[in-house]
Amino acid sequence: MGKGGHLGEFEELVLLTVGSLYNEAYGVSIMDEIVKESRREVNVSAVHAVLKRLEAKGLVKSWMGGATKERGGRRKRYFSLTMSGKKALDESIRLRVQMYNRIPDVSFNFSY
Amino acid sequence: MNAQPPKWADRFLQWYCNPQLLEEIQGDVYELYDRRTNEKGSSFANRRFVWDVIRFLRWSNIKKSDSKYTYMNHFILFRNYLKLGFRSITHNWVTSSINIFGLAISIGCAITVLRFVDMQLHMDSFHTKKDRIYQVLHWVEDESDRDLWGDVPLLAGPAMLTDNPAIEEMARVEYIDGNVRYGDDVFGELLGFVDPQFLEIFDFPMIYGNKDALYQKEQIVISRDMAVKYFGYEDPMGKEVSIKFSNGKIRRFFIGGIMDEYPSNASFYLHFYISMEVFFDIHSEKHFDWSYLTDATFILLKEGQEIGSVESSYEKYVELQNQSDSKWKSMEFTTISLPQLSKRSFEIRSSFSRGGHPAGRIGLAVIALLLLTMSCFNYMNISVASATKRLKEIALRKVMGGVRRQIIHQFLTENLLQCAFALIVGTALAYYLFLPGFNAMIPIHIPFMFSSWTVMIIFFVSLLVLIGLASGAYPAFYISRFQPIGIFRGNERFGSKNIASKILLAFQFFFVFVTIVGGFIFTDNGRYLNNKDWGYNPSGIIAVNVQDNAQYEQMKALVQEHPKIISIGGAKGHVGGSNWMVNVDHLGEQFRAHYYRVNDDYMSTLNLRLTKGRFLTARSQDQISSAVVNQKFVDRMGWEEAINQTFVYDSIRRTVVGVVEDFHGVSFYNEILPTFFLGMNKENANHFVIKTDVDSQFEVDQYLKEAWYRIAPDDPYEREFQSDVLNDFFEENNANVSLMVFISGLAIVLACLGLYGLLSFNIQRRLKEFSVRKVLGAAPSNIIKVASRQYIRIIVISFILGAPLGFFLIDMLITEIYSDPKATGVLPFIASISIVIITVGLTISGQIVRATKVNPSENLRNE
Repeated sequence: MGKGGHLGEFEELVLLTVGSLYNEAYGVSIMDEIVKESRREVNVSAVHAVLKRLEAKGLVKSWMGGATKERGGRRKRYFSLTMSGKKALDESIRLRVQMYNRIPDVSFNFSY
Repeated sequence: MNAQPPKWADRFLQWYCNPQLLEEIQGDVYELYDRRTNEKGSSFANRRFVWDVIRFLRWSNIKKSDSKYTYMNHFILFRNYLKLGFRSITHNWVTSSINIFGLAISIGCAITVLRFVDMQLHMDSFHTKKDRIYQVLHWVEDESDRDLWGDVPLLAGPAMLTDNPAIEEMARVEYIDGNVRYGDDVFGELLGFVDPQFLEIFDFPMIYGNKDALYQKEQIVISRDMAVKYFGYEDPMGKEVSIKFSNGKIRRFFIGGIMDEYPSNASFYLHFYISMEVFFDIHSEKHFDWSYLTDATFILLKEGQEIGSVESSYEKYVELQNQSDSKWKSMEFTTISLPQLSKRSFEIRSSFSRGGHPAGRIGLAVIALLLLTMSCFNYMNISVASATKRLKEIALRKVMGGVRRQIIHQFLTENLLQCAFALIVGTALAYYLFLPGFNAMIPIHIPFMFSSWTVMIIFFVSLLVLIGLASGAYPAFYISRFQPIGIFRGNERFGSKNIASKILLAFQFFFVFVTIVGGFIFTDNGRYLNNKDWGYNPSGIIAVNVQDNAQYEQMKALVQEHPKIISIGGAKGHVGGSNWMVNVDHLGEQFRAHYYRVNDDYMSTLNLRLTKGRFLTARSQDQISSAVVNQKFVDRMGWEEAINQTFVYDSIRRTVVGVVEDFHGVSFYNEILPTFFLGMNKENANHFVIKTDVDSQFEVDQYLKEAWYRIAPDDPYEREFQSDVLNDFFEENNANVSLMVFISGLAIVLACLGLYGLLSFNIQRRLKEFSVRKVLGAAPSNIIKVASRQYIRIIVISFILGAPLGFFLIDMLITEIYSDPKATGVLPFIASISIVIITVGLTISGQIVRATKVNPSENLRNE
């Protein structure tokens, strides 16, 4: 994965949420999940922008759901991980764990 | 869902949002809105909804014409519009040329006027140090008024230079009259003593010599005009001239430098520059005299210094000046920066800089704007009318899938194209016709160069865009709105009942009547003043300048035997030539009066008309304390019987021995002032006045000239025919009259062009109607009536409104300008209405005749 495919911090968060919500991921639900889990203020427009970017990178795919009552009859656009999305997540988690494990034990000695 | 989100925000979202994304975005914000309404109430939800909508306003969500083919398409269509524009210009070449020519005339005027205004606002801009140069001025108490004077104490400049470290240089200018002689040529000239730094502070271009030429006081610098005048084709550098100053001293100088031709935007310059040292050589007593005022003082600040630091030190100089025995007390000094100087020079008394009065620039700009507006109206009228021919084309475009925007673009492109042509023609008109004409009328010369390229480009582009949009927008937006179905059915019938174009036409003719009535009143008044009695008969009178009584007597002895010379008089001051103004006390009040000192023969030589009493005689009583006054003087004093009344002037009680009719000594702008004549009483005469008959005046002039050079070879022969003394006034006045006539002429040309365009289209459109009328037996007179009725009505209405307004405005202007204008009669109204009738008649007759000559069989056969 080149530089263009590099995941930003918020992108990674959204990607994780899309994966975890599995088939129930759309703009508002993703935002809710992020707000709930990370306790940070997120605007739905930011989520939309990131989703669009991820889709352009091929990390998620989307489809329109059926009509609903509570949205004035408007359909939802659902998102789910693609194979490369899953790979990108794996890669970034692997990188983190690998780097984390390299930290020498002595650095954890905070008692001086 | 009971609560509704704010409608405007929702609509805004729908407006900007890309339709492909709208559903999901709108769904999400609605969902959030519902939830927030339930949780925290509707006002919170409304606020958040608006916030969300604003946050969604991102580049990626905005509606875009997202295909590059659209751009391609635009480009190709644009080429197509251009081609269509060219075709429609060549196809309707009569209307197009009317449009283009009409616009071009007013564009030409606008360019000329802008050039004039531009120059007036950028006077003296060629001096590179202009932002650091200031002229020192001072406020002087003059009777009850405070006046801003350009003259300041001669000693103020050097004092400021030594006292103030912020000042880098200082230069003064002192005007003086003198007679300059080279070989046998002698001319009276206005000379300027300047500090040598003058040439360094200012950046007047020099052809020969250096800017330090004046540091040697035996050198002078002259202008190029003077170099040509005195030396012709000789090389002037190093030549010796002698100058006789007004106090009789003669000095020799070498030409140390020649100025190049002055830039046309120089608001001040001199023809002779002499070192200030020479002035002090001649008038050494002025070295310590704070009461002596010099004509201009300039200071140059050091780089980065503020003028405020200089201004704070003025108090000291006011004190010094007030301690001197000056008649005029300084109240306060002030400074004005060079870029501001020419714009405010009209406020400054005896200003060194000669900038124009702002009324001129404003008036001309308003007129240019009105002319532009008129031709834009024409343009709109004709474009709307000509679009009737193209309705089907527009409808077809729409049917084939053209959208309204494209039709607007097409019309605007065509309009801009025509405007571009008009701009080119207008520029040529301004360059070859208007600007040279304008230059011939006013005393300054305006070159066709703007103060900077930026100004020029901005002006031309904004002219093009403004005129193109202003005149093209109405037809473009109006016509493009029509529905194709209406056009094909023939429902869209506009032009015939078009109120807007009638109003526009009425406005034009209204303007025509205002200017034409005004022009007539002005012209009439000008002619009246040209023939007006001056209060004395100036014909055959010649006045020669003399230095003193000795010269006067010598001249008199030499020429009095000439058979053609009827009488000879002498005076200090001269009616029309040099009118001195003084204040006369009357019952504790002061009023301004002209006065002349005259000898026993002057008044009869000048043909002044005595109404009571007698002229002054040579008796010593008359010479010392008698006076002759004019009627105004009598009125001002309130005397019933003027003879033997007395008044005090110059601490002597004067007895009135005669009254003359009021006469015009100055110009017709000014009211005639109270005037009195006193005896010479040993004063020196400066005018030698003779009377001859009109036919011999040139012969006598030649004779006087020869006599003059016999008695005074060092002094120039300066004479004026009395009938020419008001020439400056008449030239200016005639220039104003021609300007007025030119404007009303333009107005009527523009209005007739507009009328012609409109009429020819309407008749074209109504040919079938006329044919039917003819078939049914209408007489030609009937058709003429039908065809021209609506236009006659418009013209009558605009005459009723415009003529009185024109009369009112110009009458106000004329009584403001002239002290005694001609009372306005009915002539202007009759003349203006007949001129309009004639021109309108000529304009429309061809078209009307076409209407009466229609051949029904040709026009009706294809229905």
